[in-house]
Amino acid sequence: MTVRTGVLIATAVIAAFAAGCSSGGGAGAVAVGGGGARQPVIEVSLLNLSNEFIVMLNQAMDDKARQLGVRLIVNDAQRSADRQVEQVESFVAQKVDAIILNPCEVEASAPAVDKALAAGIPVVNVNSETKSAPTAFVGSRDEDAGRIAVEYIAKRLGGRGNLLMMHGYMGQAAEIKRSQGALEVLSKTPDLKLLAQQAADWDRAKAMGLMENWIQSYGDRINAVFAQNDEMAMGALMALEQANRKAHVVVVGVDAIADALAAVRDGRLDATVFQDAKGQGGAAVETAVKIIRREPYEKQTLIPFQLVTKDNVGQYLR
Amino acid sequence: MTATKKPWPAQLGLALALVLLMAALAAARPNFLTLGNLVNVLRQISINGILAVGVTYVLLTGGVDLSLGSLVAFTGVIAARFAHPGEWVVLAPVCLGILAGAACGAVNGWIVTRGRVAPFIVTLGMMTAARGLALLASGGRPVSNLSAAFTRIGGGDLAGVPIPILIFFGVALLSHLFLRNLRAGRHLYAVGGNENAARASGVKVGRVKMMAYTLCGALAGLAGVVLAARITTGQPNAGVGYELDAIAAVVIGGTSLNGGVGGVGGTVLGALLIGVLNNGLDLLNVSSYYQQVVKGVIIVGAVWLDRSQHRDR
Repeated sequence: MTVRTGVLIATAVIAAFAAGCSSGGGAGAVAVGGGGARQPVIEVSLLNLSNEFIVMLNQAMDDKARQLGVRLIVNDAQRSADRQVEQVESFVAQKVDAIILNPCEVEASAPAVDKALAAGIPVVNVNSETKSAPTAFVGSRDEDAGRIAVEYIAKRLGGRGNLLMMHGYMGQAAEIKRSQGALEVLSKTPDLKLLAQQAADWDRAKAMGLMENWIQSYGDRINAVFAQNDEMAMGALMALEQANRKAHVVVVGVDAIADALAAVRDGRLDATVFQDAKGQGGAAVETAVKIIRREPYEKQTLIPFQLVTKDNVGQYLR
Repeated sequence: MTATKKPWPAQLGLALALVLLMAALAAARPNFLTLGNLVNVLRQISINGILAVGVTYVLLTGGVDLSLGSLVAFTGVIAARFAHPGEWVVLAPVCLGILAGAACGAVNGWIVTRGRVAPFIVTLGMMTAARGLALLASGGRPVSNLSAAFTRIGGGDLAGVPIPILIFFGVALLSHLFLRNLRAGRHLYAVGGNENAARASGVKVGRVKMMAYTLCGALAGLAGVVLAARITTGQPNAGVGYELDAIAAVVIGGTSLNGGVGGVGGTVLGALLIGVLNNGLDLLNVSSYYQQVVKGVIIVGAVWLDRSQHRDR
């Protein structure tokens, strides 16, 4: 029995390994066939590859790495800061040339930065920050996303009306900062009132349920909804449409995912705020390569958020 | 010994808790007890309700199914991929979603019965594997652009009643009749009550468990289809934690985690209690932090109240 189990497990592991090799074979072959000068290796630890934005970030990095002729090895931390620190420890043990970190958490991912820097390996943080300062940072200010969205709402409503805010997963950096940006605008716009705020955990189905409950609770008094990401904005939008209330309510999201862009184009969603995955991913790899080649580099590269409405949606649709 | 006390109807404590909660909410918020809002609550519980009815089968046999949330995502993605406008008739994505769920459920059941592996471990493995399948089948991105005929399953209504509610009540009613009146249904109770006794009296235990997990998986597939239709996309990361909401509804409804005791009627009440609570806390605009605490306390409190009634017997 135990022998059979052992054989079964071994077979499964070998099969998985073979599958991994066949899909990652291209990159490996390049590294071996590189000849004289060794190809620089950059290891990446990403927040979560089941998130559409992070998938886009990953693609942008791959494209840039191919263009610059460096080898990129990508690991998925699956939202766990713990796993992320472990991954970076193994990068350090392999003595890679540089690390790109897409941090899971501000505090809990900080040891990853410390350990890499202590081993003399440069770290580029991308998309969000850690408490420990990395070699370089590439990203956007999430406060700006909240600010841009609520400023647009204030403009649409003439500075007067009732706003509902849907939060992301409470306590995550993006949720805290997007809220800060939104509240900052609200404090400067006294006639724009925050009617209610509630978390819908970045989730479309949860946001839809929450919006249905809000419609029951506040009905005609709702003038606008700011959802801290597009998934939730789409959920809110569908609930409003089904209750035939969308015509009276301005809905704005953040991230510019494909669904949201299509909804903006069709005049269903009022606006979204574009976070530039391509810009961030590309700049992160560029910065890492400059550091490896000892060229001058920017310590902080800020890629601005951009408001997307029906007027300019064309340039964002792929 | 005095004559035995007349036993409480099984779900009286729970029904009482539900009525009390609804009365309190109605007093606090006049817009709670409107037809519009009550329909709203029913629509919101229908997905958790379908899952809860499914997992009732498994819990009755003394097992557990932790893979439901991932199955919802996987089957939703599968359905969505076949639900683009002008490609297939709407029956295709619906059936494929249910079949995908049933297949995963059958795998769970097969390993539980043939491999004698604890259901907790088997379905934990399926939870991880099905999430991976959902991501593979969708490439990590939501599958959107679904036909109107398909999304109508989640957003449309029939004679004024939202379709998800009709599906949920249909599933609950059929399951109730099945468990009460058919021999296969009663065998589920026998297996959960005392597996050895059931086997000795000629019940095919393995086959009964297979049936429970497969039905549970099929209903998870149905829930996945309804969810994808409701949110008009197949989301590979949807449904995280849904299995626990479903199990909570079943247990609140009086089905024992040890198997053999309970039924679908209680499960429906349990799902209602959770749904009313979610809706009420939003209407009262209770902060998200407190909501989680309140929900936890009420879930345990409801079960406690129910069990204390039973102890009198």
